Parts: sequence; structure tokens; C-alpha cells
Amino acid sequence: MYFKNIYEAVWTILIGMGVTFRHLFTRSVTLQYPHERDVLPERSRQKLHVNIDDCIGCLQCERACPVSCISIETIKAGKDEDLGATSNGQKKRLHVTKFNIDMAKCCYCADCVFPCPTECITMTPDFEFATYDRKDLMFRFSTYTREQVKTLKLREAEERKAKESARPAAPKNPESSN
Amino acid sequence: MMKNNLPETDYELEIPAQAIQTDEMTLNMGPQHPSTHGVLRVILKTDGEIVTKATPFIGYLHRCFEKHAENVSWVQVIPYTDRMDYLASMNMNHGYAIALERMMGLQVNERAEHIRVIVAELNRIASHLVALGTYGLDIGAFTPFLYTFRERERILDLFELISGARLLYNFIWVGGVAYDAPQGWREKVLEFCDYFEPKIKEYNDILTYNKIFIERTANVGVIPADLAINYALSGPTLRASGVKYDLRRDDPYSIYDRFDFKVCIGQGQVGTVGDSWDRYIVRVDEMVESNKIIRQAAQAMPEGDALETVPKNVKVPEGEYYMRTETPRGELGYFIVSDGKKNPVRVKVRSPAFVNLSVLPAIAPGTMVADLVAIVGSLDIVLGEIDR
Ligand code: SF4
Ligand code: SF4
Repeated sequence: MYFKNIYEAVWTILIGMGVTFRHLFTRSVTLQYPHERDVLPERSRQKLHVNIDDCIGCLQCERACPVSCISIETIKAGKDEDLGATSNGQKKRLHVTKFNIDMAKCCYCADCVFPCPTECITMTPDFEFATYDRKDLMFRFSTYTREQVKTLKLREAEERKAKESARPAAPKNPESSN
Repeated sequence: MMKNNLPETDYELEIPAQAIQTDEMTLNMGPQHPSTHGVLRVILKTDGEIVTKATPFIGYLHRCFEKHAENVSWVQVIPYTDRMDYLASMNMNHGYAIALERMMGLQVNERAEHIRVIVAELNRIASHLVALGTYGLDIGAFTPFLYTFRERERILDLFELISGARLLYNFIWVGGVAYDAPQGWREKVLEFCDYFEPKIKEYNDILTYNKIFIERTANVGVIPADLAINYALSGPTLRASGVKYDLRRDDPYSIYDRFDFKVCIGQGQVGTVGDSWDRYIVRVDEMVESNKIIRQAAQAMPEGDALETVPKNVKVPEGEYYMRTETPRGELGYFIVSDGKKNPVRVKVRSPAFVNLSVLPAIAPGTMVADLVAIVGSLDIVLGEIDR
């Protein structure tokens, strides 16, 4: 029994060694990463990209995100302003003054990609965006400068004030209406 | 003073009236221990090398899945289910999706059903491959780990092709799947089936029938069938004890009733029924069966639009539902309560690894500390799912 055990142990190890030995002559399956790169499929979900020219500021993506890592602020365009149209012909009516995606919070679920009516928020196969500081993972897509935002906000506030003063005589009282 | 029972000698040994009390040692295994598969902490009371008591402590990976689920909308729960059992995310998605579909009375498109079964079974193979590889690693065999991960990599590549993600897919949606299978994906799956079949023999050669591996695992941590049933074990852990119970066959969901596969049980080939080696071999056999299912499903996959039945808005009617599915680790149950509004009222998860782990204090006493590693490994726990 004792010798049989020893024999079996040695023999089964040799069988295993045979498997590893055969692998010496097969092709290597690993890639030397920084020098060789795999081609990722186009569906690959890595970094989010927003084509801000196409964004109509509908907030669908912000609502769909399960971890709330997208924050969007919009300001209504003036009546005589024309913001142009998106590439699929939708008219833009809102200034997207803020469009931040915090990739540090993002869980790469792509839930934000599907509801977008203009398909401007997409996942790209670009995965090399590691940073030294967590703050650098906040991606800002809006092209508005701070001054532009300020003037837009001022104008919005003025417009609202003008609107309120235009019809002060009709205060809607929720209690009396029902 | 007691007399010893030695033969008559010139002098007498003094033996104290009370038997010698050896000190019981308390040993802390984990949370950062390579063989606890995550962050499991087991407090051991040992008498020398022998474990007299083992108490698992969990909660180091708790992420409040159930509370989160109450605060996000129905579809937003799916990414969270991914993160429970991160080695078998597809199966986690699948259970939740089916539960909601049954509540809503939704019929899923045929093509989507086939894709779902394929990805769920692929994920089962991937999960079992990790179980095999890391189990070898626990016992001290390093090479099989590399081989199993090589095959798993091919599965992850298939997943990346179809869903874009490698680990957390958010792929199986209520009413269907997130993306249709791309051109040529089916052929790639069939190719993988052909590639994978001969690999089983490789694992058997290098690990399964290795004498040292058998010595370490046979007759270790035996779970008899009645104990397994009393502790409500499920999955390979239960089947290794000789209980033929598989939800895919006994309570068929999705389209599993159309496929021909065997339910593998432990037979005690090298030791007792229900020992660690049996739990290991059941996983190996199950991979073969899953491979068969994948092949049948891929061949039967009809053409069409897999996204046809995905509803734009998921509206779940008021009510409660309990849905159980077979994941690589066992019976996963979702108990869902809905009040017909935007969010779930309650999503309770019956997680298989949590229940399987509960048997540890019952089988650990009397084993060696080193064998405990073999037992914990053979239960194949994933702490992400235990703690949720
Ligand atoms: S991928 Fe998911 S987590 Fe990331 S921004 Fe989109 S919805 Fe949010
Ligand atoms: S869903 Fe698309 S269009 Fe709407 S706010 Fe988001 S990115 Fe812009």
C-alpha cells in the first residue's frame, strides 16, 4: 500500500507534468500589454463620450443613471435665438451649460446610452484614462465658458422677473381652486 | 494520586488527578486571507491542529443591495444585481429579469431566450472555471489556475463581443437582452464549445486525478445528504451529497425544458459521497453538461430581433413574487414586492452562497486547520453575494 501510494503520486504528477510540457510548444496566449494591444470590439464599454453638439439637453441620460454620476444644467434659449439642429434633425432649444460625467462614480452599465434620443452619449473602447487624482476623472463636456454661462443666467433671471411682473394679478391659490 | 498503568517499574510517574488541560487557541482566519475567496473571517477554536469550532463572520463586503433597490427604478436595479455574484453576473441578471417578466406577464422573444440561455450557461462555465482554478490554488496547485483562466478569458471575450463588458454585463434585461448577438457570434460560441470539450481532460489529468489532490480532498468535509438538506444547501454543494436536485430540471424556467442534459451528482468515487472532492468533480461534470446546453441552444437559435419584446417602460403591477433560478452556486431567489409604482418596494435576495456557507460550523469541528481551507474552497463562496 505504501509503495503503491508513492507510485501513484509520482505517476499522476508525471501525467500532469506531461500536460504542462505539451504547453511549452503551444502558442502563448498572453499579450505584452503596453507593447502589444488587443483590438477591443466596437461595443466595448469603457469611457463615455458625449458629442455635445448633438445634445438637446433632455436629461434622459441623467435620469437613467443608477448612480447619478451625470449632472446637466440647461438654460432655455431666447425666442429669437437659433441654436441649430442636431445631426438627426432635432431642433435644439436649450443651452447645455453644464454636462459633467464623473467617471469615478460611473459603473459602466451603459444605461445612459440607450434612452438618448439623438444618440450623442456613447461608450467608447478607450480604456486608458487612469489619472493620479480622482478629481481628474470628472469629465466636462459643455463648451460654454464661465462668462457665457454668467450672462445666460443673468438673462434667464431677468426674463423670469419680467414674466412675473407681467402677470402679478393672477395668484394661483391651490386651496381655493378646489 | 493516581497510579499510572505502566508496567511495574522502579519508580512511579505522578499524574495529576485532573487530565492535562491543553490550551485552546483562538485563531483568526481572514478577512484578508488568500483562501477565503474575498473577505470572509472565520474564528477558529483549535486544539493543536484540530479545529473544535469554526464561526464565520460576514459583512465586510456589504453594499446594501436591498436598500439600494428600493431607491432606484425597476431597470436600474439590474446593474446592482450584477455586483452581487460578480463571477456569474449573467445568472444574477437572469433571475431578476424572469421574476419581473412573470409579474408583468411578459412573453420573451424566442431569439432573446436562446441568447439568454447561452450566456447564462457560458457564465456558469466561467464561474466553475474560477472555482476549479482557485480551489487548486488553495490546495497548492498553481498551474491549473492558469489553464482555467485561459479558458475563462475566451468566454469573457465572447461576452465582450455581445455586451461590451467583461465582468459586469447589465445584459439580460426585463423582456429580453440589451443587445442582439452580433454577426458571427453564434459561430464563435460553437467554436468555443469545440475548443472547450478537450480541455476537460486536461484538467482531469493535471488536477482531478492527481494523487496529492485526492489525498487532500477525499473524505474531507463530508456533508451527508440529510445534513445538506437540513441546511438548505443548493447547487453543486447539494448535488455532491448525492441529492439529484437542479432547478433547471425540477422547476424549469426560461427554455431549459427543451434541452437535453444530465443532472450530475457526487458518487464518492475516491472517498465518501459528499466530500470536498465530490463537490469539485460535480463542477467539472456540470461544465460538460453546460457545454452541451450551449451547443443545443446555439444550434436552435432562431433568426429575428432579440430586442422585440423589451418594453419601453417597465411597469410592474402590484403584487408579490418569488422567483428562483439555478446559478452556479445554487438556488438564487428573488422575492419582489411591488406597489405598482416606479420603484420596487422590496427586493429580498435568497443568496445561495450565504446558505451554503452556513453549513461550515457543522462540518468544520474535527478537521485540521489546513483541511478547513479545502472545505471553504470546495463550498465555492463568493462574498459579494453573501454580503450583498
Ligand atoms: S454608464 Fe451607467 S453609471 Fe455610467 S454614466 Fe452611464 S448610466 Fe451612469
Ligand atoms: S439623453 Fe442625450 S440628448 Fe438628452 S441630455 Fe443626455 S446626452 Fe443630451
